[in-house]
Amino acid sequence: MIVGRYFFANSARFVPARASVDDKRILKITGEDGGSLAEAPLRQVKITPRLADLPRKLMLPDGACFETLDNDGVDELIGIARHLVSGGWMDRLERSWRAIVVSIILASAAVGAFVVWGIPALAFQLAMKTPDWMAAAVSDQTMTVLDSHYIQATEISEADQAKAMRIFEQVAKTGACAPHVCRLLFRSRLGANAFALPDGRIVMTDAMWQMAKPEELAGVFAHEMAHVRLAHGLQRVYEASLVPALIVVVTGDISQIGQMAVILPGVLVQSAYSREFETEADRSALTTLRKLGINPAVMAGLLERMDRERCGDRPCGGSWLGDHPDTAFRAALYRSGR
Amino acid sequence: MSQAGTAAAPTLYPFEFRGTGSAYFGIWIVNLALTIVTVGIFSAWAKVRTRRYFNGSTWVAGHAFDYHASGYRILIGRAIALALLLAYTLSTHFHPAIKVLWYLAGAWLLPWLANSSIRFNARNTSYRNLRFNFTATDTEAFMAIVLWPFLGLITALILWPFAQRQKDYFYINNHTFGGRYFETKFPTWRMYAIFAIGLGVYGFILAVLLGLGFAAMAVLQQSHGTPFANVPPAAVGYIVIAMFYLPFLLIAPAIHTMIVNLTASGTLFDDKHRLESKMDPLKVTGIVISNVALCLVTLGFYYPWAKVRLARYQMSKLTLVASGDVDSYVSEVFDSQSAVGEEIGSVFSFDFGL
Ligand SMILES: [Zn+2]
Repeated sequence: MIVGRYFFANSARFVPARASVDDKRILKITGEDGGSLAEAPLRQVKITPRLADLPRKLMLPDGACFETLDNDGVDELIGIARHLVSGGWMDRLERSWRAIVVSIILASAAVGAFVVWGIPALAFQLAMKTPDWMAAAVSDQTMTVLDSHYIQATEISEADQAKAMRIFEQVAKTGACAPHVCRLLFRSRLGANAFALPDGRIVMTDAMWQMAKPEELAGVFAHEMAHVRLAHGLQRVYEASLVPALIVVVTGDISQIGQMAVILPGVLVQSAYSREFETEADRSALTTLRKLGINPAVMAGLLERMDRERCGDRPCGGSWLGDHPDTAFRAALYRSGR
Repeated sequence: MSQAGTAAAPTLYPFEFRGTGSAYFGIWIVNLALTIVTVGIFSAWAKVRTRRYFNGSTWVAGHAFDYHASGYRILIGRAIALALLLAYTLSTHFHPAIKVLWYLAGAWLLPWLANSSIRFNARNTSYRNLRFNFTATDTEAFMAIVLWPFLGLITALILWPFAQRQKDYFYINNHTFGGRYFETKFPTWRMYAIFAIGLGVYGFILAVLLGLGFAAMAVLQQSHGTPFANVPPAAVGYIVIAMFYLPFLLIAPAIHTMIVNLTASGTLFDDKHRLESKMDPLKVTGIVISNVALCLVTLGFYYPWAKVRLARYQMSKLTLVASGDVDSYVSEVFDSQSAVGEEIGSVFSFDFGL
């Protein structure tokens, strides 16, 4: 016998009532005065699955409904016909600390694995399948922004440009990058720097040309060509959208909380991926330099000189948020040759 | 139309959210694990349980709401949505020009999808053994979801607050409970006032951030400038986007709160009963920001408590102002409804949202 409220068929009107089930599995609803309100075979009654301590409903076929807060009472009442209620197992899991602990471990492991392996693998697949015209469009966009705000035309002489071009072509010929894909562009400002755009444009600043010796320049080009060949730029674009997507899947909502919570972990995860790309590009540059008969250790010298230029005698140090691994790590990589 | 409040003295029925973070944590994590194990298929049932928990924990005038959707229908809805997305991606991949066709189709498809989802959720929501319903036509949905926002955009956002009002009218005024309509009405200038406040605060925060940003850039240019970076403009782009996006995120909860206050407080049910929402936009902003911070610190595990905390505050500021005793009113007016619930299963409506 459980106590609750009986709502009349398709009505918001209710009276206090009691429910019981007899030997023939007939659900009987009686009023407080003991008079019968409704009867129905249990198998025709739709019983809502238990969920936390929410009110439970026994919905009768005619649109009437018995509602009670006595969840245990309902479970007991229908004990003989448990198979009629779907979803009871869900509630038992949701309230069992064992299931919760297992779920925490499972969810953490799955999310972790997706972040560490899943997203990079997916981004790589997508980047490799991206049509050339899209990569070109992205690069055009970037170059326009750069040209209008951050960089200017080069001041390097034509002869020097030709020299740089020759080194560039030699590096490309080792297989670092298909010659029709990678092109060298000259710009000034932004300090001693070089960077690659997804469609194969590689930009070198005047300061970089002045600072690097020809052998070192080969290493710089090899590094940038690796970024192009391995589609690192595009992978970053895809990763930037996969991280928020993951958070939406986990929380199941696209609310402001979700949106706001995306940014910081997004940036952290992104820079971790980015550092991985840099190491990958450095390793590739190492192989290319060997093919050209250049000792990779020269790159360590260049990196350290650039660091001194920027930060004086104290090392710049790596940054947690930085896109690149710190110089000491990169220099060691080039020196060890592995 | 009868004058509200003349027949009987108004009675106040505060809303209350009785859910707890710990109970929702169990529901959330177990459902998440099952979703992972089933490669996403279980997410449809997970959604039902989550929604049911939030509906069922919301009480007013001695009764809780309920949610009755079946996971299957949500799964079908998602399958259709996924199929559409795949069709879009694949077709535009091979023929980029086909996008134009998709945009045209989208103008028709979007209102239909929205209508279908809102209707699905309304019909599966109940209170006191009666269902809600949503009765908008696809044309109305087209106006509210496609046409007005489009006009808002091409008029350089001048019409945007008006478009927002149209959307709220569309959403609220087409909802019924037990066959009787909700109706919201408020002067348009109040929506303009909300957006004006938003714009002012946005501009202020942006100005402060830009000031800080330029200072930071100057410092960075001296010490940073990483050696041959991989697409450094990406980093620059992030900073610029963050600068413009961050103030937007900061004010979004407050703007949203003010809009809910305005639309809910302007809502009449059956020409008699009023809703009243008195949330403090700053308080909501504080809750949202601290929720995000706590979620980050706890690697996301605070999420269930965050959601419950916000729902508790929102409901604690919502009141039903009934003319007279709501219990006798409901019992009399909504005695013996036609069986709306019966046809629910047969109507083609699915939930396409997340
Ligand atoms: Zn690099």
